[in-house]
Amino acid sequence: MNPSGLSLDQAPPISAPLRFFLTAPLFAILAAMLLAWNGPAIFTSRWNAPLLATTHLITLGFLGLVVFGALLQMLPVIAGTPTRHPKRVAAITHGLVTPGTLLLAAGLAFSNALFIKTAMLFLAAGLAYFTVIVMSNLNRALPGNITVITMRFAVLALGITAVLGLILASNHAWGWWLVLRMPVTNLHLTWGLIGWLGTLVTGVAFQVVPMFQLTPQYPESLREWLAILLFCLLALWSGSLIVNGGSPNATGVTANTLLVGGGGLFAVITLYLQAKRRRKLPDVTLSFWRFGMLSVLAASGLWLAGEFYPAFGGSDRFGPLLGIVLIAGFAMSVVNGMLYKIVPFLVWFHLQSLKLGMGNVPNMREILPEHCTRLQMWLHFVAVFLLIISALGAPLIFYLAAFAFGISNLWLWFNILSAYRLFRRLSRGKTKPVSNELASS
Amino acid sequence: MEDLLVDARWLEPPEPLERTLEALERLLPQQRLRLLIHRDPIMLYSILRDWGYTWQTETKDDGSFEIMIWREPKVWREPESNGS
Repeated sequence: MNPSGLSLDQAPPISAPLRFFLTAPLFAILAAMLLAWNGPAIFTSRWNAPLLATTHLITLGFLGLVVFGALLQMLPVIAGTPTRHPKRVAAITHGLVTPGTLLLAAGLAFSNALFIKTAMLFLAAGLAYFTVIVMSNLNRALPGNITVITMRFAVLALGITAVLGLILASNHAWGWWLVLRMPVTNLHLTWGLIGWLGTLVTGVAFQVVPMFQLTPQYPESLREWLAILLFCLLALWSGSLIVNGGSPNATGVTANTLLVGGGGLFAVITLYLQAKRRRKLPDVTLSFWRFGMLSVLAASGLWLAGEFYPAFGGSDRFGPLLGIVLIAGFAMSVVNGMLYKIVPFLVWFHLQSLKLGMGNVPNMREILPEHCTRLQMWLHFVAVFLLIISALGAPLIFYLAAFAFGISNLWLWFNILSAYRLFRRLSRGKTKPVSNELASS
Repeated sequence: MEDLLVDARWLEPPEPLERTLEALERLLPQQRLRLLIHRDPIMLYSILRDWGYTWQTETKDDGSFEIMIWREPKVWREPESNGS
């Protein structure tokens, strides 16, 4: 036992989540480069192959990797027991999903069937392996835990997203006639964005918003029923879509509207709770979450507008626009904000556990100074606005948007890297006084 | 001996944990640490157990928690003579 350090019994080594967090922004930078290389015409239709490649660099490469890394870190806490061989699990998942995503994006962008076929192998193996690990860990948790139930639904939705994605990828690779290609694509992206990511974000929000943002708790009924309700509505809408050959019946439309309404309600409740927080101090993660929730409301409004005005909803630019608001505006903002809590906490926690012979461990604000994270946040917000304007049809803004998006993610990568480098330096030189180390960094 | 007080109510994580651990290092033998906090600090308990401290948690009327932390002298100073 180490009398002056924290217990590390349940935590995986810092390298396990950090390898995901340090790779993820590189995918977003690659996405920005792909946007710039293809030019403004990329936003003219959601079916443009380079746009599909860009989308997967963000969803699988950026969002997927961060979420996988964060889940590996959270699982022992949720399940109450450590994950077996965390380093191996991290290496295998990361080692399969990273090349798989690169190959998929390259295959879609350059219409290369061999790349897509190889990507399918990597991604099927990586996602199946990760799903099995998470599910087996959750099975060891105490029954009835609402976070565990939410995670199960989220991971099940990830599995459904992956299977649908593999069907679509095989269609791209082999060119077989997929009659229901459009509805299958809609099912794939809805299960991915709402089923997997949406359920996960709500489950995480119920824990971290009251804890980190010092807000009142979410209503008990919402915490208990939201994940189940989301899953049932998704299943109902999917069933209606499949049975009716691609166009949902009245039940399906109702389920879809309720899904959108549910997302909007969650965003409104989160914004309301954040307005009632105990300490009204500015906080980068809080601002990222607020921007994310406002994006959910904007996406809900856009979707409803698309339903009521088919000329708008059916236009070629509608899909890319909704995708930017939902993926860059909501998902990337929330994930970026969470990284600014998770990374300094991990560095602090692991330094605390190693503190034999050291002076005081630097606090969270010293590990990742707020002036660095705040400027990156503003750049991200600007990038999202510029992307939205570009998608509406402003080609001159397009290159500026891609540039801002790329630099914002480069900056995020640098911020995570500098926190990790501080950890490496302090954990190597345990006998050096920390204050000197910080002053020289 | 007067208790050492840490008021960590409505501080953002992990500041309550940071302040508590820092205070434990300053805690004199026979002295107790009185921690006021707005939520039940589950993570702290496993650290206290590892570090050999004893604690008692009391829920206050306003929903916050008061946690008394001290070291049992026998367990700490004469571990060989105490089987527990």
